[in-house]
Amino acid sequence: MESGFSDSRLNGERRKILVIEDEMVNRLILGNTLRGTYDVVFAETGAQALEILNDQFRTLSLVLLDLNLPDMYGVDILHRIKADAVTAVLPFIVMTADQDAEVQCLNLGATDFIAKPYPKPEVILARILRTIELFEGRDILRWTERDQLTGLYNPEFFFRYAAQFDARHPDIPTDAILLDVNRFHMLNERYGRAFGDEALRRIADNLRQALQGAGGIVCRKSADTFLAYCPHRSDYGDLLRLIGDGIDKDYHARVRMGVYPNADRAIDMERRFARAKQAADRVKTSFSGAAGVYDAALYDKESFNEQLLEDFAAAIRGEQFTAYYQPKFDIHTEAPALCSAEALVRWNHPRLGMVSPGIFIPLFEENGLIRELDSYMWRKTAGQIRSWKDRFGWKIPVSVNVSRIDLSDPLLPQLLEKVVDEAGIAHEDFLLEITESAYTEDAEQIVSVAETLRESGFRIEMDDFGTGYSSLNMITALPIDTLKLDMQFVRTAFRDRNGMRLIEAVLSLARSLGLTTVAEGVETEEQLQALKALSCDIVQGYYFSKPLPAEEFEAFVREKGI
Amino acid sequence: MLTIDALRRFGAKTEEGLGRCLNDEGFYLDLVKMVLEEKGFEKLASSLERGDWQAAFEAAHSLKGSLGNLALTPIYAPTAELTERLRDGKEADYAALLTEILSQRDALIALRDG
Repeated sequence: MESGFSDSRLNGERRKILVIEDEMVNRLILGNTLRGTYDVVFAETGAQALEILNDQFRTLSLVLLDLNLPDMYGVDILHRIKADAVTAVLPFIVMTADQDAEVQCLNLGATDFIAKPYPKPEVILARILRTIELFEGRDILRWTERDQLTGLYNPEFFFRYAAQFDARHPDIPTDAILLDVNRFHMLNERYGRAFGDEALRRIADNLRQALQGAGGIVCRKSADTFLAYCPHRSDYGDLLRLIGDGIDKDYHARVRMGVYPNADRAIDMERRFARAKQAADRVKTSFSGAAGVYDAALYDKESFNEQLLEDFAAAIRGEQFTAYYQPKFDIHTEAPALCSAEALVRWNHPRLGMVSPGIFIPLFEENGLIRELDSYMWRKTAGQIRSWKDRFGWKIPVSVNVSRIDLSDPLLPQLLEKVVDEAGIAHEDFLLEITESAYTEDAEQIVSVAETLRESGFRIEMDDFGTGYSSLNMITALPIDTLKLDMQFVRTAFRDRNGMRLIEAVLSLARSLGLTTVAEGVETEEQLQALKALSCDIVQGYYFSKPLPAEEFEAFVREKGI
Repeated sequence: MLTIDALRRFGAKTEEGLGRCLNDEGFYLDLVKMVLEEKGFEKLASSLERGDWQAAFEAAHSLKGSLGNLALTPIYAPTAELTERLRDGKEADYAALLTEILSQRDALIALRDG
């Protein structure tokens, strides 16, 4: 017998083989041959075979298939198995006396043949061993179909499987579910990676069990994100309870769940889970875990954004974007004097009316369109500065926004150079506002671009100071001319004593570094006087004026004087 | 009584059949007895009588598999030949082959019961 030999080559663990054969004598002969080395399960009919394959495919190492079955031709079984992503990875050996069928089976992916009458048992065992070895070599590939940490499917395999579920059950409504762990990175940071991994494994086990009951499948999407696809249910509370079982107590973590119920089959699988994610994102950190359910209002937002992106090109062509100008006042003098302005973009959409920059700017930043918009705004603003000078002899420096996306372009200095050149204005009249958060992202690159710009005569203003991870060190390290305090930062500062001290410290440091200071969002006389007392240089805000269209700004300047 | 010697005298290639049974004589003889009880023989006879060539083919094909593995050559050979003739599904003179198959089976049954 060869079983000792076989064992040694397949390092220990007994493999399981499914034998599909209708003849009892043959089943007994094969069983007798294989039993010494393998666990064997038998199917006498095609229907039985499919049932066993469905239930036990995870633990099977090989299938031996007789081509002639009472209820189904063996080739049909092969067809079914190969069409199913899950069982398609199983190796098959076909047993037949019919040589014509061999070609057909090879084409269907059979791995080997065993003739009938059977060859010697040693030959059968050797072929089986070879086939299993061959496939377990490929098992590395199979493993990549599973997530190493949790043993769940990986996303690619999961999506294939889910698509197959749809194909097989066109009439069963399904839910796309996304789960993640609230502030998972905190868990890793506080208790260590091993602890976080342990929590993920526990969640995965809970999920597997919960979803098995619900007849669904599940995968780990990434870090702490899991996806599940299962037949539709009306209540998700029990599911979430099962999945979160013990997680909060043992791991101090909370599972969050988003559901896209009755998923629309017309949209692709990834989009369905994107909707589940939107639903999950709406579940705030509630103390009892809650499930968010996708609703159409969320979808409206998404499609609204898509609409804006689609309309962008036409908006540039049709000059729907315009610059509004908010005046800035020098407060060194007894009466504040208008000294400059900030250009702010406005979008007058032909159907939607005025669209808030709070909506479209982050959107355009996300996909890079902001560069086109910024450069459009620069040209318009530079043209306006020139026009005021030509028409009224005004010299009003205007600041424009330079997005962090623009800063990643090494050609930015040339681009801006061209803008001032073509408009025929001075560099010092074209102020560049760079948002504070840009400096924290890729400091080195941005510092170098900012230095180049300053060398060619531009003045750089750091915008939104006080919104991000502001540090006073940053002000000293960066090549800037002006510090603009964020509107919200200014407003909160006025609410309490500590806030006032902070703003005082910032202004004092800026002054000692020779920076000009600008406070945004000034709304009251009281705030104005306080800033004045702290020796802030310039203020901007509704106290003086909201941002105005060019003509109104002109009227405002005429009234106030420069 | 069915013995290895008796089977060899009958014309079975016992070495081959025993080999497939890992040389377990008792197991081999049990399987031989089992195949003699196969309903396939009767199914084959009645299908041929009805002229249901497809059913006859399936029955012959199944029998052929078991008989071949047990190396019961005197029954296997005419069954294999009948299977091949039936494969085309055409009417032909199958009676002689069927008679041969059944009489060889009966001879084996007589051996068993003798």
